[in-house]
Amino acid sequence: MVTREDVLQMARLSKLYIKEEELDALTKDMDKIIAFAETISAAQCEQTNFDNINNLSNVLREDVVVPSYDREEILKNAESQDEGYFLVKRRS
Amino acid sequence: METNFSKIKATSKLLSSKQMSCEELTKQYLASIEKENKVLNAYVKVTEEQALATAKKVDEKIMRGESLLPLEGIPMSLKDNISTKDIETTCCSKILQGYTPIYNATVWDLLQNQNAVLLGKTNMDEFAMGSSSETSCFGGSFNPHNPNHVAGGSSGGAASSVSGNIAVFGLGSDTGGSIRQPASFCGVVGLKPTYGTVSRYGLIAYASSFDQIGPITTSVEDAALVFDAIAQHDPMDSTSQGKKESAAASLSKEIKGMKIGIVKEYFEGIDGDVRTAMEKSIETYRQLGAEIVECSIPEIKYGLPVYYILACAEASSNLGRYDGIRYGYKVPHYEDINEMICKTRSEGFGAEVKHRILLGTYVLSAGYYDAYYKKAQNLRGVIVNAFKRVFEACDVILAPTVPMTSFERGQTQKDAVQTYQTDICTVPVNIAGLPAVSVPCGFDSKGLPIGLQLIGNNFCESTILNAAYQFEAATRENGAFKAVEMGVAL
Repeated sequence: MVTREDVLQMARLSKLYIKEEELDALTKDMDKIIAFAETISAAQCEQTNFDNINNLSNVLREDVVVPSYDREEILKNAESQDEGYFLVKRRS
Repeated sequence: METNFSKIKATSKLLSSKQMSCEELTKQYLASIEKENKVLNAYVKVTEEQALATAKKVDEKIMRGESLLPLEGIPMSLKDNISTKDIETTCCSKILQGYTPIYNATVWDLLQNQNAVLLGKTNMDEFAMGSSSETSCFGGSFNPHNPNHVAGGSSGGAASSVSGNIAVFGLGSDTGGSIRQPASFCGVVGLKPTYGTVSRYGLIAYASSFDQIGPITTSVEDAALVFDAIAQHDPMDSTSQGKKESAAASLSKEIKGMKIGIVKEYFEGIDGDVRTAMEKSIETYRQLGAEIVECSIPEIKYGLPVYYILACAEASSNLGRYDGIRYGYKVPHYEDINEMICKTRSEGFGAEVKHRILLGTYVLSAGYYDAYYKKAQNLRGVIVNAFKRVFEACDVILAPTVPMTSFERGQTQKDAVQTYQTDICTVPVNIAGLPAVSVPCGFDSKGLPIGLQLIGNNFCESTILNAAYQFEAATRENGAFKAVEMGVAL
């Protein structure tokens, strides 16, 4: 059973605000979705130690120096910037 | 084989024989978009300037008497989660509005190298999360067969653009069925390649261990041509491996003796016109000399929860990057940085995306990790092994792409769990990383298309595309179905 507190805790971890008037409906939705996810608990299965599709490991490449992106280019999508840096408000 | 049709080849011939210049062709498509997009809402951005500049380059090449590459001068569309340098790429989310990537996705680089003509970016469910394209911040994309019905999703705009003849082909992405389901709904071909064949570099991530880019086309041959162009090893994607062989070169091989598996779990609860269409399709394959093999994968019943647990877990991590600092939407008023990030994310993401982030966070959080994420990951291995067993007994698995045909507008947002059920036949393929193609196999009584899904073993795109090609040749002539009985193709 998913509670309002569970949803608020998940929202806090996900950095999302939930409006008070949306909380009950969202809790109900989440409860349904979790109950649906819960159906796997009944599965009796062998241990597979699944890691990744195609069983790749240690995909390495030569360490070659290549030019990177222009700093101005990278910054052009930022809403706030200053002297070549992303600008954010100081933590209070 | 003369009975099949390739719109890409026909268009290329039109250009190389100088019956039409690439500029004229491009302008024709742009004019059609202007008209049709009002109804279909397939494009969220039209790239006219870019398209005409490429067309000019192609025309100059033709004038110089040079031969054309397979996709050169072909008007096409890209789903809006595929990064295009200097062209806005939004994933149809408010949080990415105004974002213009500073690099190209590898697939777009490959197409651009061939001078494919980009007409625009296509509509999709926000961050590819949905089955109708209606979670898009631009509103849904609609079905050319009946605009009161959805185009499907999440690559709804791509399928709508191809089916509505406002693009010769489109690229979509498939995480749990997002290429095959809209292709099925819109009566076109959609190929989800093996995980790792097509580079994901520049594809904005939803669930990285499931996501794969693939073509949506009008014919199987076109799907093979586009697949051959984009399926290449890319050092920028460490999971990329490229293709085993050319798919286009493998078409028109006889399928006599090919073993086609019918996995009974795919047919549970399938009835009405979709079942009839499947039965007729199986009969068509029998007549083509294929051997039908009955088999079973009981683990498929865990496919949907396994998919939603793992995909949402990956999404909750992947979407952590949207904080308003480096790109995209940022709220104008806030007290401190934490409030800025929380407000930006709360206003920037739509309801379905928030649902999936919350679910993903839940299944990864302390106390729930073992019961959900770890268990689902283990079951993923079980499903992978189950498909391996089945492919020891058959070459291809035949199944419906979707248990139903396209639904009416506004139906999908009512009940999340019920909406997830529409993915029941598509998600197992993504869980196991397999290739699968959806090919049109007829219509329901309302005149809406039905899709047939052919699933192959890893890196066996050639096998499924050839099987699809033979089916297409047997059932259609110049794109139209040869004979129709009770609304279902013979």
